[in-house]
Amino acid sequence: MDNSAVRTEGLTKVYKDFWRRKSVSALTNLNLNIERGEIFGLLGPNGSGKTTTVKLLLGLLFPTSGKSWLLGYSSVDLKVKSKIGFLPEESYLYKFLNAEEILDFYGKLFDIPKTERKLRIDKLIHDVGLNPYRKRPLSQYSKGMLRRIGLAQAIINDPDLVILDEPTSGLDPIASREIKDLILDFKEQGKTVILCSHLLADVQNICDRIAILNKGVLQVMGNVRELLSQKDIIEFVVKNLSDNDILEVETFIKSRSGDVLSINHPASTLEELFLAIIQQSK
Amino acid sequence: MILTIAGHTFREVIRKKILHVLIGLGILIIIVSPFIPTTDEPDARVKMMLVVFFQVVVFLCIVGVIFLSATSLPHEIEDRTIYGVLSKPVSRLKIVAGKITGFALLSVLVLIILGLVNVVAIQRIASRLPEEFRSILKARNEFAASRFSIQGKVHHVREGIAWIEGGRTGIALWSFSDLYKKLADKSSLEVEFNLKIDCSRKDVDAIPLVVGIEDAGAGQCKTSILSAKIDEPLTIKIDREIVKKSGTINITAFPMHSMDYIGVTGEDAKLYSVQKGFISNYIKAMGVTFLKFLLIITIAVMGSTYLSAPVSIVSALVVFLCGHILDFVKDFSLVIQRYDVHEHALPPVLKKPNILLVYIEYLIKKPLEWVSVILPDFKRFDSLKFLLKGINISWETVGISVGYTALYAGICLFIASVIFKKREFL
Ligand SMILES: Nc1ncnc2c1ncn2[C@@H]1O[C@H](COP(=O)(O)OP(=O)(O)O)[C@@H](O)[C@H]1O
Ligand SMILES: [Mg+2]
Repeated sequence: MDNSAVRTEGLTKVYKDFWRRKSVSALTNLNLNIERGEIFGLLGPNGSGKTTTVKLLLGLLFPTSGKSWLLGYSSVDLKVKSKIGFLPEESYLYKFLNAEEILDFYGKLFDIPKTERKLRIDKLIHDVGLNPYRKRPLSQYSKGMLRRIGLAQAIINDPDLVILDEPTSGLDPIASREIKDLILDFKEQGKTVILCSHLLADVQNICDRIAILNKGVLQVMGNVRELLSQKDIIEFVVKNLSDNDILEVETFIKSRSGDVLSINHPASTLEELFLAIIQQSK
Repeated sequence: MILTIAGHTFREVIRKKILHVLIGLGILIIIVSPFIPTTDEPDARVKMMLVVFFQVVVFLCIVGVIFLSATSLPHEIEDRTIYGVLSKPVSRLKIVAGKITGFALLSVLVLIILGLVNVVAIQRIASRLPEEFRSILKARNEFAASRFSIQGKVHHVREGIAWIEGGRTGIALWSFSDLYKKLADKSSLEVEFNLKIDCSRKDVDAIPLVVGIEDAGAGQCKTSILSAKIDEPLTIKIDREIVKKSGTINITAFPMHSMDYIGVTGEDAKLYSVQKGFISNYIKAMGVTFLKFLLIITIAVMGSTYLSAPVSIVSALVVFLCGHILDFVKDFSLVIQRYDVHEHALPPVLKKPNILLVYIEYLIKKPLEWVSVILPDFKRFDSLKFLLKGINISWETVGISVGYTALYAGICLFIASVIFKKREFL
């Protein structure tokens, strides 16, 4: 039994146009191994091949070469789909339905029995904070609301593996934060999460491991803290030090052959500041 | 699963404006149809309503349904809502089948609405007709002759048609047996002749015909002289008492005057038992029409698994129209064969088929016959002719249509699912 949540071997995708002349190498020889239960970040700038990877995993595209497995099943196997949740890059939803109706439709496609479906839909609409708007057609939803309903539909079947393509794209920081909290909940429930994003800040706090793609080629893969920690840099955080003392410390470090890169009053990240202000104003 | 997708498709399409316009237009045409000027025959208006409904309204609806069903999948693929379905445990075959079922449901709805309006309108118009002209609202069961013979002299035989000269030189005889078992209790009987008639006198469009109706068992015979018009069927009522006795009747016919000719085959006299079954016949006709919808929907959806929206609309329309052209080809060769019909009494060299027409026919017909093997034959579903003639659509006819549709649509569904499975979603 294959114990990994996702495994790819030499996954490669070359887009060809109709006449098979022009071609784009969107993904080249990707080897991934994502463990069950981890939050895995797939990072990279726009056009680096993240969405292509996801579509290949889901069998929406067929690889030019290579293979991929989800939860031990081949990507084209229909059986695995009942254990997977998927949030596409943009909110491709039926705009003429309302929140309840669209969740009901997808729930039916998963063959969830009626009473169970009703309960889950109720809970999900609550969890993603759309309860006041549940009867509104999606055509009247804002981008953030669509993202939330997208997230809700991705877990309507209580999946083992959730694949989220740019879940926070186009959202304000609060909404992003809330979505990240939801993703952390998924992890708590034991789900494996694949998170595609071009925003490092999105991934940094919540992912266990990340991979960075560029132009379809895997650049680095590993534990987030290990990748982000710079072992040769040390930061002191000190309170109430006089200017004279600062000068003295600086001279001392220099005399011991250290390089002073910067001496700053530490600032929180912009995101944290923004959140703090909003939190206070509540 | 198929039903879930079907229901969803139905729900989406039911909101489309084009559909509302279509139904409104259909109702309008039905309401206007009795006011279209026609011939003076009292039942012409009813016939006109039937023709308008089955030729115009149904045609419009089919075009509308083609538009909707051919664009559904391409639109979902284009706006990528299809991802939501494809990432669920639903096979692509079921997606295609669900789409088809959804549009089948839609056509049931459309046919019920428009069919109901139409039948109510027809009943209203027909109820004002004098009693003897309400025969249009009949449903007749057809019996073919069990035996056909010619007593006396046959003038000559050409292309399987036996020609008899008038003045008792020869008599055509059709026997209908076992009528006891076949007839429903309340039905009345009539015989319809479709004889070829020829007359060497000029400017004559009808000849006197001697028709005998005989109870085979008792030997009772009723003879009458009727005027038989050229190119028009001749219908004669038969007293039901005659069947009560033996269950077999003989029908004889010959032209009264010498120099008048009739051309006959075993199929040219048919016995009909007449019931008041218009509504059930109409429902059967609607059922057969539904099969036509189902087939074109399947073809449209099949095309749309691979083609873009506009291309699949056009290709489904082309298939639909070509499916009717097959019939045109048959008509065309009939036109040419007409040349033979009236010439028997004349020297054979006098009228020859136009060689150019034969040539064109050969050129067009052969390739089209080949195409017709692949293309669906939509004229198969023509139930209008039954309603116009007041002939009961037999369950056998319905069954054959169902079988044809099932086979053809099944193959299309299979091809569609194979194509759809191979498809990538960019
Ligand atoms: N349908 C397509 N046809 C041709 N090239 C495509 C298509 N979709 C994506 N690409 C190309 O493949 C590369 C990767 O795209 P994508 O996987 O969408 O990147 P990301 O999701 O990381 O932004 C890009 O260079 C893009 O231009
Ligand atoms: Mg992308």
